[in-house]
Amino acid sequence: MRKVVIIGGGWAGCAAAVTAKKAGAEVIILEKTDLLLGLGNVGGIMRNNGRYTAAEEIIALGAPELIEITDVAARHQNIDFPGHRHASLYDVNLVEPRVRRLLNELGVEIRLETRAVDVKIKDGCIESILTAGDEWIGGDVFIETTGSTGPMGNCLRYGNGCSMCILRCPTFGPRVSISQRAGVPDILGRRADGSYGAMSGSCKLSKSSLEPELLRQLEAEGKLVLAVPPEDVNMGKLNIKVCQQYALKEFAENVVLLDTGYIKLMTSYYPLEKLRRIKGLENARYVDPYSGGKGNSIRYLSMAPRSNTMKVEDVPNLLCAGEKSGLFVGHTEAMATGSLAGHNSVRMALGMPLLELPRLLALGHLINFANEKLQDAEGRKDRYTFCGGKYFTIMQEEGLYTTDKEVIAKRVQDIGLKDIYRYKLI
Amino acid sequence: MQKILDCIDAGSAYCPCHLAETGECIMCSQLQGRTFCDCANWKGVCIYHDFVSNRYRKREQRESRSCRILKRDEVSEGLVLFGIEVGKEMARELNAPGTYVFMRDQASPAYYDTPMSIMTVEETEGTIIAAVQVRGVKTKALGDLQEKVEIRGPYWNGLLGLKYIKGMRDSAALIIARGVGQAAVLPAARKLIAGGNKVKIILDAGRNSHNFTEAYFQDLGCEVALKPLLSGKALEMPFETASYIKETIIQEQIGLVVSGGSEKLHQKVAGLLLTLEDKPFLACSNDAKFCCGEGICGSCHTRVEDGSRIKTCKTQLNPFSLYERRAQV
Repeated sequence: MRKVVIIGGGWAGCAAAVTAKKAGAEVIILEKTDLLLGLGNVGGIMRNNGRYTAAEEIIALGAPELIEITDVAARHQNIDFPGHRHASLYDVNLVEPRVRRLLNELGVEIRLETRAVDVKIKDGCIESILTAGDEWIGGDVFIETTGSTGPMGNCLRYGNGCSMCILRCPTFGPRVSISQRAGVPDILGRRADGSYGAMSGSCKLSKSSLEPELLRQLEAEGKLVLAVPPEDVNMGKLNIKVCQQYALKEFAENVVLLDTGYIKLMTSYYPLEKLRRIKGLENARYVDPYSGGKGNSIRYLSMAPRSNTMKVEDVPNLLCAGEKSGLFVGHTEAMATGSLAGHNSVRMALGMPLLELPRLLALGHLINFANEKLQDAEGRKDRYTFCGGKYFTIMQEEGLYTTDKEVIAKRVQDIGLKDIYRYKLI
Repeated sequence: MQKILDCIDAGSAYCPCHLAETGECIMCSQLQGRTFCDCANWKGVCIYHDFVSNRYRKREQRESRSCRILKRDEVSEGLVLFGIEVGKEMARELNAPGTYVFMRDQASPAYYDTPMSIMTVEETEGTIIAAVQVRGVKTKALGDLQEKVEIRGPYWNGLLGLKYIKGMRDSAALIIARGVGQAAVLPAARKLIAGGNKVKIILDAGRNSHNFTEAYFQDLGCEVALKPLLSGKALEMPFETASYIKETIIQEQIGLVVSGGSEKLHQKVAGLLLTLEDKPFLACSNDAKFCCGEGICGSCHTRVEDGSRIKTCKTQLNPFSLYERRAQV
């Protein structure tokens, strides 16, 4: 049996676990907090714009499990909000237990509250991972999905300080860049003004703090757009956001609320005093990040140089996925890169050639494109997602965007990759 | 690149300290001149955050103050136990394994400061007992004190491997101590017993005429054995003692060994544990030469396995990383 160790239990790590397990490996996930899914516990947006195509491609490639969970747990399907069409919003309170059950059923070993802090290198390869509890965990292949968010010092140096987000660094300890510990320097994302990092793009409010009639409307329609008082409109704030797909004029002149179990407020942060000046939000209260009135987490400070197979450069047995692997935004992007890394971990363990998804697929195109952009300074100022910004335009220009499931399935079939993730390699 | 190590003062009232101001922080990469986090060790607080919110300055540091000597007991020739009134707050902060204070005569300059382990603490009275072995210039000055003593503290890094002592529950531990080093491990026994552990003690009086801590250990309910731990000019561990320790570890299923005494003793104990198939954790008294206790003077620097230099007055280490290599030489 070949052992694959996944460091980080977010969407990317869970997706990698599913495909590595299906390809026949013994799989262990090391997660520093007491929850899987990481930022996925406060996200919730799926299938908007090009993410629809990407989700269907993941299914056609043979890894439908996580997409199915988010579909089943959707509070709203096929909704439109400014700049976005046919979105699906999963209930952030229901998805994590389902993913945990799925991984347990598949036989993935999940080690929660296990923070990876260092590596042991032998002959250039990672031999084992050291946990904060002083335990060495060995394996044949390692996948790093620790993300690029935080920790507290970074959120302070490049943001407004720790905003007490779902990653809960003070409680469970901060993430440590495993690739950097293995001797590969991290690549850093930048903002338009050249400063490092970018701020997470949304906050969550408690439902009971919203005016009851508006709450009824939000729960019925899935979205709500409330006008910002003219004196409080701040266009400059759009530049600091991670999520360029939401950096639209409408998002400055209004607050856009989405129903994801919490009320998802589509802005990086918003001073509570000001927020309460908006009609209907007089009692508003943050539930994530708790200090959403002051700031939000800082991301893209820790990306690993990689190939399009998700292999980290210069470490023969390390792969990466999710935000660790590029300037990606979103759950679908994490699942897309995670599934490929998980599948390739087994190929790597067996000495087989690694799979590279062709540019004929949206998944392969994004993974290639984001990697090219990571190489130059200007490219590091942008973010790459199927659902908006420059990349969605390119996706449309390339004819990759479609919501026709049959077309997508046929595309995957035609290039001979249908159900590739279902094949047991060991 | 500096190493990210475990600082005993991290997150305390004295953190961030001088080292943060000079880019020499033991734990924080941001305060080592780098611009990104690398929190391989973590104490639940962001030192960089505390430093920034304190306007890029260290916190107020420990200062010396005059304390009353309540009791002076010469238990053996050249070995004096001092009962000292330090105040309730300081007593509370010293009531843990591994604590020590710097002591000196009020009339002496600051470089007479001598680190002394805390043996017992009475929190409600605000008093401590510390043992002073009179040996050199500094301790001779202390040995003569009658009424007042200058105290600087609290300090916490008097034992290495503290996490094993604090984390051990419902298991069995063996404490091996010699000479004045017995004082340093008495609070460790207290903590281990509070954690539901069975604690066995092996004592050697060393240069002293008798084992001045024996009664204290017995009062705690520990089983005490008296054995020569180091003997002869070369200070070797007698074969019979080594066999006794090994047998005890195996028969009593000892999960942790605490060594109190000189580096020589720690080295011998570490060497002996390394011969065991299932080696217990090791904790030991910190025998480095402390002068300032603040990571400044450099007197406590030591080298670990990979050759890097460590400030042992502030850094918690697994004792094997210090003694494994030396034990094998």
